[in-house]
Amino acid sequence: MLEECAERKRYYVVNTDIANEQLMISVSEQLKLPLMQVARRAEAAELRGTTQDFAAIRVTAQSALQLLDNFLLSLRLQNGYLQLELEPVSVSSVLYDAGQAVRGLADQYGVELQVDIGGRYGPVTANRMALEAALISLASTLIEGLPGMDLPAPQLELQFATHRCRYGIVAGVYMRHKSLKPESLDKGLSLHGKARQPFNVLTHASGAGIFVADTIVKAMQLQLKVSRHNGWRGIGVVMAPNQQLQLI
Amino acid sequence: MKNSDVLLIEPDAELASTYRRALEDDGHNVRVAHSAQSALHLADEHQPDVVVLELQLTDHSGIEFLYEFRTYQDWQTVPVVVHSIVPERVFQTSRLVFRQELNIHTYCYKPTTSLRQLRATVHALKV
Repeated sequence: MLEECAERKRYYVVNTDIANEQLMISVSEQLKLPLMQVARRAEAAELRGTTQDFAAIRVTAQSALQLLDNFLLSLRLQNGYLQLELEPVSVSSVLYDAGQAVRGLADQYGVELQVDIGGRYGPVTANRMALEAALISLASTLIEGLPGMDLPAPQLELQFATHRCRYGIVAGVYMRHKSLKPESLDKGLSLHGKARQPFNVLTHASGAGIFVADTIVKAMQLQLKVSRHNGWRGIGVVMAPNQQLQLI
Repeated sequence: MKNSDVLLIEPDAELASTYRRALEDDGHNVRVAHSAQSALHLADEHQPDVVVLELQLTDHSGIEFLYEFRTYQDWQTVPVVVHSIVPERVFQTSRLVFRQELNIHTYCYKPTTSLRQLRATVHALKV
C-alpha cells in the first residue's frame, strides 16, 4: 500500500516536472517576441531620434508582463501552490474586462476587437480571476497570430463572445478565419514541448498563451474547446450554469 | 548603384513595421509579406533584388517557401538573408544542404541581430 502511494507520488512529481518544463520552454520562446519588439523599437527610436515608438514599447511591455503573470498563475496552479475557489461568475462581465485588457495590443496589431455579450445568460461556476486570465492569454495569442495569416483587412477581426451549447455556456475568442479545427487544437496540445511551433495554423510563435490558458482552465476542472459562434471559429471554455443561482 | 527592392517576409506585424522603416530609411524599397503564399505573389509581381526571410511562418514554413522560390529560374540567384528566431544550430546536420542547395547568403539569428546589423547585411547586397 505504502509502495503504491510512493509510486503514485513519484509519477505525479515526474509528470508535473515535465509539464512545468514544457510550459517554461514555450513561454520563454514566446517572450522573445515582445522583448525583440521592445529592443528593435528602442533602437529605431535611437536611430531616428524620435519618441514616436515609445507608446508602442509601453503596450508591448505591458502585454509581456501580462503573459508572465498568467504564466506564474498557471505554474502555481499546476504545482498545487494555489487552489481556485469556484464561485458564480457573470460571463459577460469577464468577457468585457478581458476585452479591455487586450485592446491596446489589438490596436497595435491592427486587429479590430469586438465584444459580443448580447443575450441573457445566468452565472456560471468558475473562478473569475482565472477565467479572465485564460481568456486574455488566448486572445493575446490570436491577436499576434492573425496578421501572420495575411488575411484581407476585413478579416482582421477578433470577437470575445458567449453562447449556449448543449454542455453549458461557452465563453471564447472567435475569428472569421476558417483554418481552426478541433484537430488543430488537439494536435497543438499534443505537440506541447516537442515542437517549436505547435499551432502553426494559428500563430508563427510558440502559442504559449494557449498552453497557459489550458493549464488555468484545467485547474477549474474545465476544458478548452474549438467552437463556433455565428459562423466564426474560435477557442472557448465550456462552463456549467450555476444552477443554484438560476433558481433565485 | 540603385537601391534594392527588398522583399521582407516577417509574420509578426509589429516587427515587420519596425524592420520596414529601418530598411526604407536606408533608401530601399521594401515590400512586406507575412506568409509564404503572399511572399510568392509579391515576388512574382515585383521581382525582388534581396529577400529577408523568417523561417517560422504561419501555415507554410520559410523553408517550404525557399524550396518553391528556388525552383523558378529567375529567382535562383536572388540573395536570401535568413533572419529568423530559429537559431542556425537547429540545422546543424543539414547546414551544408541548407546553405548550398537553397543558396542562403547570410543567416542572422533575429534576437541578437540589431537593426544596424540587418541594414548593413542588406546594404552589402546592393545591386
